[in-house]
Amino acid sequence: MEKKKLCLALYTGSVDKLTAAGVILGGAAAEDMDVEIFILLQAAFAFKKENAMVNDRVAEITDKKDDFLASLKRLGTPHWTEAFRKAKELTSVKIHICGFAGKVWHGEKLDDFIDLADDICGIAQYIQTAEVADLNLFI
Amino acid sequence: MTTEELKKLKADKVVDARGTACPGPLLAVKQAIADVPDGGIMEILSSDEGTKKDVPRWAEKRGYQYLGDFEESGYFTIYLKK
Repeated sequence: MEKKKLCLALYTGSVDKLTAAGVILGGAAAEDMDVEIFILLQAAFAFKKENAMVNDRVAEITDKKDDFLASLKRLGTPHWTEAFRKAKELTSVKIHICGFAGKVWHGEKLDDFIDLADDICGIAQYIQTAEVADLNLFI
Repeated sequence: MTTEELKKLKADKVVDARGTACPGPLLAVKQAIADVPDGGIMEILSSDEGTKKDVPRWAEKRGYQYLGDFEESGYFTIYLKK
């Protein structure tokens, strides 16, 4: 049976949305989907080596950030990087850093980003992948 | 199956995913199913209510049989037949 493909345009650099993306990736992994993730603008900030584990910005309900982060701990929710890593272990997940986004955040080389990233890409690769994906998401 | 019938089943594999939230239990099931022989029984323990709906859906799509579940002592016990 041919695997379904999920194409995720990941724009956010906020841990609330990155955590949501991690949950969705877990679902995609459970369904054996092939996943391609394109790291756009603010997400490239979150994927920088020096930011990934210390960035705790949230995008929404910001006045309840401390409650939100405490609840993630209470529920045993893995850090988004671990959720992404787990998905990579269980299914094919390719993570592409948008070259422009990388440069915005002073990331010129793949080595500037956490080891979840597979390569640096251009927009044509995203468009072509999105064209044939079974499921397209923008977060 | 009734709760009493489910409790009499002998599991070939037990997945204890209590204390993890969605999608943790489902991923634990996916990883462990390879250890269950064809026709074997998997018992899943989960404190996540969503698992009760996710596991039957996931199993049906793969041709596994959802046998039922029950709640006891603050967690759910779910049974699948591979």
